[in-house]
Amino acid sequence: MDVVSPASLSQALALHAEGDSRFCAGGTALQLDWAKGLAKPARLINLARISELKRIEQSDSLARIGALATLAALLETSNLPGTHPLFHAALQQVAGPSIRNRVTLGGNMMGRTGCLLPALLVLRTKVQWLTHTGGLTGSVQDLLTASASKGILTRIDIDAQHPGERWLFRKIGLRAAFTPSVINVAARLLLGDRNEILEARLAVGGGIVPPARLPEAEVLLTGRPIETIDWAQVHDCLMATIEAPADAFRSSEYRRKVAANAFVHGLGGDLPGRRTFPVQTPPQPLDRPAGELALSRSARPEAWHQRPDVAPKVAGKLAYLTDARQPDMLVGRILRAGLPHARILSIDTSAAEALPGVMAVVTHRDIKGSNAFGIVVQDQPALCFDKVRYAGDAVAAVAAVDAETAERALSLIKVEYEALAPVTDPEAALLHDAPRIHESGNLQRELHFARGDVEKGFRRAAHIVEKIYVTPRQMHGFMETEGGYAFVDDHETLHMFAGGQHGARDCLQLSRILAIPEDKIRVVTSPTGGAFGGKDELTVQPALALLALKSRKPVRLQLSRAESMLAGQKRNPMSIRMKTAIDSEGRLVAQQVEVLAEAGAYASLGPGVLETALEHAAGPYNIENVRTHGRIAYTNNGVCGAFRGFGANQMTYAIECQMDKLARLCGLTASEIRQRNLRKPGMTGYLGQRVAPTERADEMLAAASHSPLWSLPQGLQPDGEWIIGTGLALNYQGNGLGSAVPDPAGGRISLSRHGSIEGGFGLDELGQGLLTLVKTTVANELGCGREDVEPVIGDTARAPDSGSTTASRGSYVVWASTKLAAPEFSRQMRAAAGCILERDPDTLALGKGGFFERGTNSGEILLRYRQLAEQLDDKDLPSVTVAYEFPKNEYTGGNARLIFAFGAALARVAISRVTGEVRVLDLHQHTAAGPVMDLAAYLGQIEGGALQGLGFTLTEDAPMRDGHYLTSNLDTYMLPGIQDAPQRMQSFALESLADGDIYGPRGVGELGIGAVTPAIANAVFAAIGHLPTVTPIPPETILAALEER
Amino acid sequence: MSYSISLTVNGDQRRVELDDPRVTLLDLLRERLDLTGTKKGCDRGQCGACTVLVDGRRVNSCLSLAVTLDGADITTIEGLADGDTLHPVQAAFIEHDGFQCGYCTPGQIMSAVGLISEGHAGEDPERVREGMSGNLCRCAAYHGITEAVIDATRRMAETSERKSA
Ligand code: FES
Ligand code: FES
Repeated sequence: MDVVSPASLSQALALHAEGDSRFCAGGTALQLDWAKGLAKPARLINLARISELKRIEQSDSLARIGALATLAALLETSNLPGTHPLFHAALQQVAGPSIRNRVTLGGNMMGRTGCLLPALLVLRTKVQWLTHTGGLTGSVQDLLTASASKGILTRIDIDAQHPGERWLFRKIGLRAAFTPSVINVAARLLLGDRNEILEARLAVGGGIVPPARLPEAEVLLTGRPIETIDWAQVHDCLMATIEAPADAFRSSEYRRKVAANAFVHGLGGDLPGRRTFPVQTPPQPLDRPAGELALSRSARPEAWHQRPDVAPKVAGKLAYLTDARQPDMLVGRILRAGLPHARILSIDTSAAEALPGVMAVVTHRDIKGSNAFGIVVQDQPALCFDKVRYAGDAVAAVAAVDAETAERALSLIKVEYEALAPVTDPEAALLHDAPRIHESGNLQRELHFARGDVEKGFRRAAHIVEKIYVTPRQMHGFMETEGGYAFVDDHETLHMFAGGQHGARDCLQLSRILAIPEDKIRVVTSPTGGAFGGKDELTVQPALALLALKSRKPVRLQLSRAESMLAGQKRNPMSIRMKTAIDSEGRLVAQQVEVLAEAGAYASLGPGVLETALEHAAGPYNIENVRTHGRIAYTNNGVCGAFRGFGANQMTYAIECQMDKLARLCGLTASEIRQRNLRKPGMTGYLGQRVAPTERADEMLAAASHSPLWSLPQGLQPDGEWIIGTGLALNYQGNGLGSAVPDPAGGRISLSRHGSIEGGFGLDELGQGLLTLVKTTVANELGCGREDVEPVIGDTARAPDSGSTTASRGSYVVWASTKLAAPEFSRQMRAAAGCILERDPDTLALGKGGFFERGTNSGEILLRYRQLAEQLDDKDLPSVTVAYEFPKNEYTGGNARLIFAFGAALARVAISRVTGEVRVLDLHQHTAAGPVMDLAAYLGQIEGGALQGLGFTLTEDAPMRDGHYLTSNLDTYMLPGIQDAPQRMQSFALESLADGDIYGPRGVGELGIGAVTPAIANAVFAAIGHLPTVTPIPPETILAALEER
Repeated sequence: MSYSISLTVNGDQRRVELDDPRVTLLDLLRERLDLTGTKKGCDRGQCGACTVLVDGRRVNSCLSLAVTLDGADITTIEGLADGDTLHPVQAAFIEHDGFQCGYCTPGQIMSAVGLISEGHAGEDPERVREGMSGNLCRCAAYHGITEAVIDATRRMAETSERKSA
């Protein structure tokens, strides 16, 4: 491709006449078009130098806009909001602010799908374009229909709006802002003196909706006084005449309906056939728990610490493992199957190997060890050999001198497949005649649990609620996609630097695959740009290792976002059928739960997720008679595994919604029904296991019942669109891996050669604040300064195994290891210092910077840590390593946790009668997870968890069809943006532990996500009487509920 | 065919030879100029991790073709601080804990710098959120980010008032 930047319009046209070319202005659409597979022209004609096309002239009656004016420049045109309010409103809705700095008006219009077109259609707009035969003038309509692509759009003239006209522009999207368009609506009503409509102009467009005026509806409106309009008739007409196709995210009917609603509501009409809803009675306040801390920096400034890695983070200098660049470094790429289910007949890599610049091509033939990995079940091949089981399966990998060569090499690898019928639904996967994905069959795991007599319980019931809750294939969406680099050193040690959550286990898994002893593999896993469970399993490491070993060169490899979506793990989708009964007093008498979870192509931690879900099946309640049954099935739909919450949040959604539904049936409030059923201190856990003595569900409920959110406005708002409701939910979350699996933990405290006190942990900094935690905990325990402590983490060569950075276990491991190691470390330190100072070690104490005399306030440092280190041989440097099992109980009947953290969430939500969207206005979270070690990190975890919960509830899903993802990037996978975050969030912590509780701080990595979904769902239930049982909550179902008569 | 463009990157003038006209500014920075502070989260204009300033305005570098930027002045996160003195936005992000994993942070900071110089958000939280809506943070440090941007806006306004006084 050739790029030219002509200086004048005539030059541009002449160049265009020479053949296959494309004009470009801001150029923002090019990348997107190319990503969609649109052919690249032989020549790109960049119009950026033609400055006359950038001019904007504006008067009271007209805006003359050069086609190359950027949207940002237009938005900054001072009078535009006054003269062209509709156009101004439309401009603000296009893409994001940074993109608007590049996008030009002409470019946006020529894209034909631009968000602005409906606005321009209802405004009086004249466009000019230039062709070889001369200039042409016409309407926007002409531009859309004419073969204007032959020419250059040069100018857009827009008449000012009339004072007093009624206008409307609205973009309906998939999230609050920076969203693709579902449909955009624009309208203008010119009114006469007696409020009669002189002219009506209505249009739709945006995204896949063809931009079009709506003449039939315009006729219905024109010529009548606005008060006499039959809005129901207009609505029907709009529904019948708007043309809007469907895609994987919204139906045609939804698009038409929300457009019709938006027109009618926005122009002042009544929405037809809407129910009204009584405002719910708030729960009565219970006894407020003492000592709850409202989390903010000012609440306890001494516990708010800057993260130790802030400086490099804000300077762009933190060395993420995917940032490594070296001159001799090769670039790796992985060949993905592309087919959801197929037998491999042959793999021919000869052409790829022959390509100049290719340094290594690896396939299953290069695997010397066992070609199978998986944290629990080793069923996933590092590189496929007999079959592929999902479209993202890795088949081969290439290392080459640069990315382009590596990609070209991938295209030269010939793999012959025999396609097999894909299994794309877990229910279908379990039918006896379903194609087998694995030899062992499609049922990966089945779990049963029962206590009491469920049938008898149900017979005693006064009310029974039975519902099926369906939860999404949520993507972790870490901003740093999977990747890193690897090399082999002169001692034949493989160094693997790749984002992960448990270096020692990655090392073990690699050792099995590569048939290399573990002590010849070093794994570095920090810093990682987000993980949330999605980097717990191996990701790129096997391919990366094989490439480094074969090429004998350093190789780097990072998945593109599209590849990450295709190949990376997601949350296990679940359907949870829950039948819950209460007696006439509102006491739970029986519960039956049936879970069907999807594993995807390989097990990974899916069975554990199912187990954890079932362990939380009763929520923090006491139910005498329970029966649970869970199954997890293989399918050819992607891969799933660990994700923050680990099944508990899905189950919490179900049980907490059941509670509100039951409360409604028996006439109790949300707090009354819960209070009657809460677990009590001293009870065994759900499975009958021993649990830690601290129970805080009671206090969480009490705190939530006092929330000021209950007294904020509820019900239908004066704007006629939004209905507000508030809901609450409780949760509790087990910490650690459970009783049925090994859960080794440990750590080290040592004096380094340079005189720092190292806190060594095989855990990872993923953003959760591990570094702060290590500094704080070690300093608190030893009495030294925070700046004396140097965390050494995420490196199997430098830190002992601490277990995984998952399951909310990190905080405990740091705290407990430090507690265990500190006395002996302090003794060694003081003994060594005593020797040098010729003093009794017992008279010494560790302090900030060095040793002090115990019991005095002299402030004199007798010996600095650095001085001590200088005088000791390496072997004499104090060092204490501890290793132990993460606390667990003796329960063997299943996997059961010992330690739990407790929470309550309150959501105040607004529901749109126009679009069916749900927005969270306020979110309060009450937590009880033991002492808060660091306020900033704690708060970050609670809020971060909450937003992921919000996404799970409202916007996030990666739908699939026939084993293929229907979304390939963040343009349709809707991570919550900053405007989806509640305007007001507040978190609280109740830190006290019960007497005799020796388990210290609980982890809060998962606590924050658990109660958010049911709190939102219950708020919707409170507002409109409809309990959403599918997440992300489909706005169609909300609209349907609002319309029921 | 090869293209030669000249760019000022963080104050240094550089001539850059491009053998492929499809190279984005982001890839130019990360892969050829070793400026890996600017991050790639999506390569499609959807996350904002790649935000840099081009001639003082924030843009998504993944959507900008390098060849079209001949003569431009680029500022990346690496060039924001004045020696050891942090830019007020950087300082405010530290102060308000406007990050967790930090991977979106360079983009957030550059976007905030652009937003503040555009000057229409002021200290109104809702307008700041609107102005930052093109930058995703999966760790969801949105609360801290909003506070940091407001705080930096205030401080920068104070400093410029003091200067002009
Ligand atoms: S990488 Fe440019 S916006 Fe995501
Ligand atoms: S801090 Fe992790 S993505 Fe923003």
